[in-house]
Amino acid sequence: MKAYLTRHMQVFMRTLGDFARSPTATLLTVVLIGVTLVLPIGLYVGLSNLQRLTAGWQPRGSLSVYLAKGAPNTATIAAIRQVPGVATVRYISPAEGLREFSATSGLGAAAVAFRHHNPLPGVAVVTPRGGTPAKVARLATELKAVPGVAHVQSNLAWIERLDAALALGHRLVVILATALGLALILIIGNTTRAAVASRADEIAVVGLVGGTNAFIRRPFLYAGALTGGLGALCALILLEVAFLALDGPIAALDRAYGAHYHLLGPDLSQALGLLGGGALLGWLGARIAVGRALRSSRI
Amino acid sequence: MIELKHVFKRYPLGIEALSDVGFSVARGEMAFLTGPSGAGKSTVLKLLCLLERPTRGQVVVNGHDLARLKPYRLPHFRREIGVVFQDNRLLNERTVFDNVALPLLVAGMTGDEVRKRVLAALDKVGLRGRERGFPLALSGGEQQRVGIARALVHRPALLIADEPTGNLDAALSDDIIDLFQEFNDHGVTVLIATHDLRQIERLRARVIRLGEGHMVSAA
Repeated sequence: MKAYLTRHMQVFMRTLGDFARSPTATLLTVVLIGVTLVLPIGLYVGLSNLQRLTAGWQPRGSLSVYLAKGAPNTATIAAIRQVPGVATVRYISPAEGLREFSATSGLGAAAVAFRHHNPLPGVAVVTPRGGTPAKVARLATELKAVPGVAHVQSNLAWIERLDAALALGHRLVVILATALGLALILIIGNTTRAAVASRADEIAVVGLVGGTNAFIRRPFLYAGALTGGLGALCALILLEVAFLALDGPIAALDRAYGAHYHLLGPDLSQALGLLGGGALLGWLGARIAVGRALRSSRI
Repeated sequence: MIELKHVFKRYPLGIEALSDVGFSVARGEMAFLTGPSGAGKSTVLKLLCLLERPTRGQVVVNGHDLARLKPYRLPHFRREIGVVFQDNRLLNERTVFDNVALPLLVAGMTGDEVRKRVLAALDKVGLRGRERGFPLALSGGEQQRVGIARALVHRPALLIADEPTGNLDAALSDDIIDLFQEFNDHGVTVLIATHDLRQIERLRARVIRLGEGHMVSAA
């Protein structure tokens, strides 16, 4: 076992040495892979951030029940609570509504002008018990029939649209990641093919002195895996640079909306997954290329 | 150790390199394989190393019927033989030590054992102290000695050499052939393909003659 690990360590060190001897070619390949990978990763991280942002906007699947002007609010709220399928009810009085509107609309002092003649109705925010779209739609119809209710607005439609858009985005990420993962395999496969061709004499000699295909393949597989892993690291660095560039505009947006939102990059497990995935794809590209070369030279 | 029976080798486009060639070399024997250019010497050596397969006939080396050797056994078979080439086929970007160590590394050997064996092999060919140098810094004769050290470092039962003195002057050729003789004295079976008649006459070893792909004599 120790001899096995020693042999692998020797090949690994020799591969690093080969990289150091041709730094420009290595760097170009690594950056090319980094640029290839940063697109799907950036899109994925962007979608994750969007999902995180929208998750806090509204109670998902809630209903806004607008009460009629002049209706007895307490009785109406009590009637709403009695409707089957209602889980919770939060009442927002016209005065509270105006305060909230002043704070979040950006109109500030201008909204104070409505202080003496508040046009906002009382609103009951209803959380349904069970959140399937059909159930919520049925509940909305029943709530409309409650005396004192002027209008019921379902918050479900736009959430469904947003969820559909995010699902589409995620599907795009998968398609893009598959296509660009294939591109990574081709890039490393081509690099390996060139390396195999340039070391044809060495491969022939190793074969003549009894080197197995595994022994011949090993340095190329290490080179492929290292190149893929370094490419993924380069993608993470590029992503970090992009986040730094976006930091200022997002902070400005935060200030304008009075919100506190920060872009989040990939977490540790995602970053490790990316590095491992890059190395695996690199290994695969090298394995295919060197395997083809060895098969064509077999007697 | 080596046995060829009714061996034919035909290349694409109908070029017949060997036609009904047969001879044997006993364990511990030293023999020269000779003949003019195009006689088929190199083809015979390629068959013995399994760089080529015969079109017809049987080739047995060190007890292995090469026609029946499974591909996965090929590397293990090659570790039983040592091969020296006219152009020595050294890896110029690797040190002398690394070149000689190659057969040991592919066999899975590591550490001190590799070092000991490489230095012993270089000692035998008179190159002890040159292990850190690179092949291109050596003379033609020294490069050929490195090639011989690489062929012998894993202690093969059979040593095959293809025109090992082809690029060397007379004095260096004598040194190299004397080295082969020395290894043969220690029990290694040696087959040398050469058209250097001076060496053949000097050593008075057994001679197998080929001519235009046919056996001429195997006395």
